[in-house]
Amino acid sequence: MSLMMDQIFNMINMGIVIFDRDLRVHSWNRWLEVQSGIPERYIKGASLVKIFPRLNTPKFMRSCKSIFALGNSCFFAQKRHNYLFPCPAPLSVQANFEFMQQNCTMGPLRDEKQRIAYGYITVEDVSELVAYEQRLIEANMLDGLTGVRNRKYLEQQLQAEFARHKRYRRPLSLIMMDIDFFKKINDTHGHQGGDLVLRRVAAELASMVRDTDTYARYGGEEFCCLLPETGADSAAILAERFRRRVEGMEIEYQGAEIRVTMSFGLAGAGGEIADREALLRRADEALYEAKRTGRNRLVMAEPQLRLVKSG
Amino acid sequence: MTSFLYEEITAEETDILQEVMNIAFGKASADLAEVIDIYVVLNIPEISVMKATDIPCCLAREISRFDKISIVHQNYWGKFKGTAILVFPAKAGRELATLLDNGPDEGGELLDPAEMERDTLTEVGNILIGACVGKVAELLDDVITFSPPRILVDEESRQVVPAETFDARHSAILLKTLFTFEERDAGGFLFLLPNSTSFGWLKKALHTFMEQYL
Amino acid sequence: MIQKILVVDDSLVSRKIIKSCIPADRGYEIHEAVNGLEGVAKYKEIDPDVTLMDLTMPVMDGMQALEEIKAFDERAVVVVCTADVQMKTISRVMSRGALMVVKKPITRNAINDALYRAEQTITGHNRP
Repeated sequence: MSLMMDQIFNMINMGIVIFDRDLRVHSWNRWLEVQSGIPERYIKGASLVKIFPRLNTPKFMRSCKSIFALGNSCFFAQKRHNYLFPCPAPLSVQANFEFMQQNCTMGPLRDEKQRIAYGYITVEDVSELVAYEQRLIEANMLDGLTGVRNRKYLEQQLQAEFARHKRYRRPLSLIMMDIDFFKKINDTHGHQGGDLVLRRVAAELASMVRDTDTYARYGGEEFCCLLPETGADSAAILAERFRRRVEGMEIEYQGAEIRVTMSFGLAGAGGEIADREALLRRADEALYEAKRTGRNRLVMAEPQLRLVKSG
Repeated sequence: MTSFLYEEITAEETDILQEVMNIAFGKASADLAEVIDIYVVLNIPEISVMKATDIPCCLAREISRFDKISIVHQNYWGKFKGTAILVFPAKAGRELATLLDNGPDEGGELLDPAEMERDTLTEVGNILIGACVGKVAELLDDVITFSPPRILVDEESRQVVPAETFDARHSAILLKTLFTFEERDAGGFLFLLPNSTSFGWLKKALHTFMEQYL
Repeated sequence: MIQKILVVDDSLVSRKIIKSCIPADRGYEIHEAVNGLEGVAKYKEIDPDVTLMDLTMPVMDGMQALEEIKAFDERAVVVVCTADVQMKTISRVMSRGALMVVKKPITRNAINDALYRAEQTITGHNRP
């Protein structure tokens, strides 16, 4: 049986590394040799955290401690860690990742006396799975960070809705909005704080629209909302509700409370706004005007730029 | 005439199991303090023996004292096999977030506070379940493998009992303990549901445990 | 010379285990109590030479019972038997005057050692 196990150890289509209580490598299987480019004879006896300094995190060390002390298993999911052992990404996904994406499991190995003598880590290549999931997200027309619709989806919808507006003379409005002083938020709270703000604001505002409306992330900190069957005046009411909602949000991040405001530009299809590029452009100009005249406010395009409500 | 196929756990075996659990949880507490550096109090476990079909509503009743809960759920296999369920009241995640020292974020996935809570609960849950179940297994001379922990955060407490087919012919054991983290205002319940197919082995193992003393 | 041993533990199984680890051939008289309150009462009543005390018990736990016994008789020899062997617990127990801590699961050797230590202490107490 041992002869068969030896063969399995090196033929199995996943990585297995066995290490002792000092985290020194006892065995490094063929899969890992091939994927990492590190032969077993080179790494045998070496400390895992010295060879891979990236592993030297509180969670990893704590996990090692717990498998030896408690005999439990620990899990390192790709979603949280990306990978434990740096290996080149498979060819098929090199456009997506530099390194192979891995799900890893760590656990104890006992000797004849049932004492935990070694630990193991198994490594599973999930790069293709993750790439597929990412493609799905794109295909779904969702923005990866905030989960709202992405620009691609909005543009599709805009095309369809504008065509419908033209054909049936139904009202159609577009609100362009963006977060005031976003750069300052990034500078103060780091890009993670900034991303949190984007996610929270997007989630909040997206929850306020109907199924037939499209709420999308248009750019970095810019969002827009396409409102079919809605005239400019009704859209303005919604935009004001947006403005007030954002103004009232308290976003907790690392002990600080972040408060934000947004500026809004709004345009309604019809009259001079005769095609979808014009709708976008006029809404954008109105947004620019809102910024220019003090932020935290809504400006409507058509007939002239008209300030509706200020903060 | 219905024939009963289930293995019954006797009162004497329940007493022995109680003592085994006491010892296991005491040792688990000590080990947890060493590994995660926090004083955890694991209370005397309560053992209830009941009809298997009563488990879902019994669990639901226990859980219902909280409105919103987070759950870490893990299966374990050895000769002693079953399900472990850790129930935290909703705010526990926030309290426990600072429990584990995680250093500066290594720039993997972006973590907002909600994700960090999930991570902490999952890791704490994994360690707690591993310690408790592992120690019980050790005392009964068994070796356990664990499934990765699954987590549900901030759920309404109603619909969270795991969907298992409970065979009315079997009796079931529910092991429940209250745990509290002394330095954080957080705690919850740990439920162990041994799989009825392992009762035969469990009974033997409990008697073997006592035999070393008699 | 140890003659009377008091075992205080709420678990019947645990008391059984402890009793089975106490050597049977030395003529010890073994008494039992099922919680800290009863333990303190029994202590006052029978004046045992050694007390084997569990910590987690209802009504009154071992920590408090230890304190009360020591308050009553500062030379009481109390050996704490517990599975909870965290540093904090051990130091709390020792600072309340326990002789030593024995880890659960109990073994015959551990009980023997504890009784030996207890014997030494008692002889020491009795030295003029």
